[in-house]
Amino acid sequence: MRVLSTVRFTLLRMLRNYIVLLLLLIVPIVLISLFSLILSGAVTDTGEPYLKQPAVSLVLCFQLFGGSTVMYMIHSELFTEHRARMQMLPISLTMYAFSIMLCGVVYSVMLGVILMTFTQFVLGVIWEHWLWTIYLITLMAILSSVVYLVFMLAVKVYKTAERLSEVYGIGFILLAGLFFPMPDHAFFRFMGSYGNPLTLSTIAIHEMSMNNTSKAWFAANILLAATIILFLVMMVVGRRRFMRDRV
Amino acid sequence: MTVFKFSLKRSFSNKTNLLLLTLFPIAFIFFPEGEYWPVLPYGYQYFGIVLLFISIRLTTIILVDRAKGVVKRLAVAPISYGSYLCQNLLAFSVILVMQCAIVVYGGVLLGVELYQPHWLMLLYVSFSFTSLAIALAWISIFRSKESAFLIYMSLVTLLAILGGLLMPLQIFPEALIRIAVLFPTYWLNQGMSWIASEGPVGDFILINGVLWLYTIIFMILGSTRKIH
Amino acid sequence: MKAIKEPTLYIHGWRFLQIGLLMHVWIVGDLGFRAFILILLLLILTSLRWRFRLPVWSVLLDVLLCLLLFPYTDIHYVALAIPMFELALRGKWMLSLLLVAGFSLLHALHVIDSTIDLIFWYHLHAFLFGCFSWLTIKSQQSYKREADEQRKARAELERIKMDLLEANHSAIHHAELMERYRISRQLHDHLGHDLTGALLATQAYEYVKDSEEGDKLLAEVRQRLERSTVSLREAVHNVTPTAMIGVERLDYIISSFQHKDIAFYKSGDMLLVSAYMWGLLEACLKEALTNVARHSDATKVKVDLQVTESIVRLSIHDYGSVTAGSHEGSGLRGLKLRARSIGGSLSVNRQDGFLVVCVIPIEKVGEADEATNRR
Repeated sequence: MRVLSTVRFTLLRMLRNYIVLLLLLIVPIVLISLFSLILSGAVTDTGEPYLKQPAVSLVLCFQLFGGSTVMYMIHSELFTEHRARMQMLPISLTMYAFSIMLCGVVYSVMLGVILMTFTQFVLGVIWEHWLWTIYLITLMAILSSVVYLVFMLAVKVYKTAERLSEVYGIGFILLAGLFFPMPDHAFFRFMGSYGNPLTLSTIAIHEMSMNNTSKAWFAANILLAATIILFLVMMVVGRRRFMRDRV
Repeated sequence: MTVFKFSLKRSFSNKTNLLLLTLFPIAFIFFPEGEYWPVLPYGYQYFGIVLLFISIRLTTIILVDRAKGVVKRLAVAPISYGSYLCQNLLAFSVILVMQCAIVVYGGVLLGVELYQPHWLMLLYVSFSFTSLAIALAWISIFRSKESAFLIYMSLVTLLAILGGLLMPLQIFPEALIRIAVLFPTYWLNQGMSWIASEGPVGDFILINGVLWLYTIIFMILGSTRKIH
Repeated sequence: MKAIKEPTLYIHGWRFLQIGLLMHVWIVGDLGFRAFILILLLLILTSLRWRFRLPVWSVLLDVLLCLLLFPYTDIHYVALAIPMFELALRGKWMLSLLLVAGFSLLHALHVIDSTIDLIFWYHLHAFLFGCFSWLTIKSQQSYKREADEQRKARAELERIKMDLLEANHSAIHHAELMERYRISRQLHDHLGHDLTGALLATQAYEYVKDSEEGDKLLAEVRQRLERSTVSLREAVHNVTPTAMIGVERLDYIISSFQHKDIAFYKSGDMLLVSAYMWGLLEACLKEALTNVARHSDATKVKVDLQVTESIVRLSIHDYGSVTAGSHEGSGLRGLKLRARSIGGSLSVNRQDGFLVVCVIPIEKVGEADEATNRR
């Protein structure tokens, strides 16, 4: 498969994007270290450090922005700079787009795992179910890539798509009540629990750590369903856009 | 005052800027109040961060000028670099003061509990000049608009956390509270606490004085003319 | 990163690190906001020093700030290192030393109470760094001045060299013109005169009926022709130089080169090549043959001179093995410059032995005269 040979270079290009690395890896590390300094080992009544909750939120929050590299790469490869060249090549462009998405998800998950390792071994936050957390991080990363791509494919102007994706990320963080408490309205309550991917994954991790497997799987499955639905939307919108823009 | 006029126009020409400069401050008036902390409603607590954010978006106009070579052309034009800088900064400060006025007096109109709104306005004006100066000093390090903006966002988050804007300063360990004094956001926070608690005026003058000292320092650091 | 090699970067670094130190002292100690304000004011002065070149008396402002903002704390004492450094940096090391001594005296007499006992050593260290920076900057400036002067002198020399080459060219050209003029005048005065007379006499002979008159005319014609032949022989004999010129010199040089077996090929009209070109070609040949004699182990050398209507090409090819690190000597460099100054080129190729090729354009006669008139 010719596309496989491009995967290595896609990964290298993603790694070379230093600003994204700074924003999605260094900034959370600095923030969580700051939190750990500020909270300095304080524990709740149940013996769980206060640091656990912010750590979980931070790791998952930054997964919301993991789709930005995917969006940028697909836009520059298939829609603007290298469009003509890519369409001349003997590779299947859909497969190439999928390979970029896959690389982006792997990259995002990798950053998340590095964060988890850092918090566990340097700051002493115990993550109980590693595989479950990694599964949720993967779901969040896929969802983020899909949402970013839907925005990019649906909207003509790239800048607007960028803004919309930022609104998606910051909006859901806001709606999860991480900056200040949301008003007590039905809509906000829904968006603060089952309508919000951030809160869904937080709930899933929390429930699993308390061994309520059914509730945890319930939250995770809502996330999975949303991901699949949006994936199908992306395929439809993408095909239409691609057909329309064919050189 | 050509540069001033065009600076104003350019600040509003970008669609995102337009949204940011008009809807954002109004939205901040409606944020809820906290229970024990913060002393002022959440919107007013976070307004400092918004000021920092808006000032970097405005000063990137100067950065874009440098990247496009406008500064090079200005070097041979009959306008001094100081005059160009002053007019730009005047335009930006007019916009920022307007934002502060909208937020403070809009809140007063809507009946938000602001304790001493006039002093709050003064505090916000001082801090807007400080944030403008910080943004100016920041862009003198960078060449590209995007990297300057993105890394500044991380810096603003750090400043906000360490200055005690996002979390109450009382929960910090002793050493961090001492270190927090170095950041301008700490002084903004202190100013807001003073407004809620009605202490002696001398303290408020000290707070504003320190903010203006920071303004002077960052202005000196950021006023270099860089021709690429 | 050229900026890293500049001493001023480290001076600014020291200045800002001082402020960092003061902040650290403030954080660790239990000092109030007055001391913090002092730090901010000192930071303003430091930034001004970074941005502009402040005059020496700005040091007074530092000292004033330290004196006016009491109560005096450790911050004030450490901050005094700044004026000590700045004074030493500007060459006023006596004043700086005075300040250091004054402070340590007051400290020793317990007039000043500092919790930092080693502060004397710190002040001395600041003074020393200031002196070092001053000396570094002074010597850097003097080196720069010297380098500038050298560069100016070299540029001047280059210009004179180019002028000389040009003057040489024009002098040769001028000499040619003068010779041409002299020869044409001589031919016109003597030869032309006689030949015209002879022609007129033969024309007159056609109309003469008397045989005596005719014989006289014929005798006159013969006389005139004899005189013109003598005159021509004289002109040719006198004008032909005995010294070797042009291609004969090249032949001479090659024949007197005993070391290797040289093959000389010539083609084209040698007269198209003017005197100054011969000078350069000769120098080229001599230089190349010297190189062959000195550095090469070749057995065969091929010299090829081709003259066409537009260029002269001289190539000297020695089929030997060239030593690996053979650089261009100054001889070939100078010849390259000379060739360039008359619009030609000299190139060296080391691929198959050692090959030197000199190509010079030939000026058309009309162009040469135009060029001379323009000057």
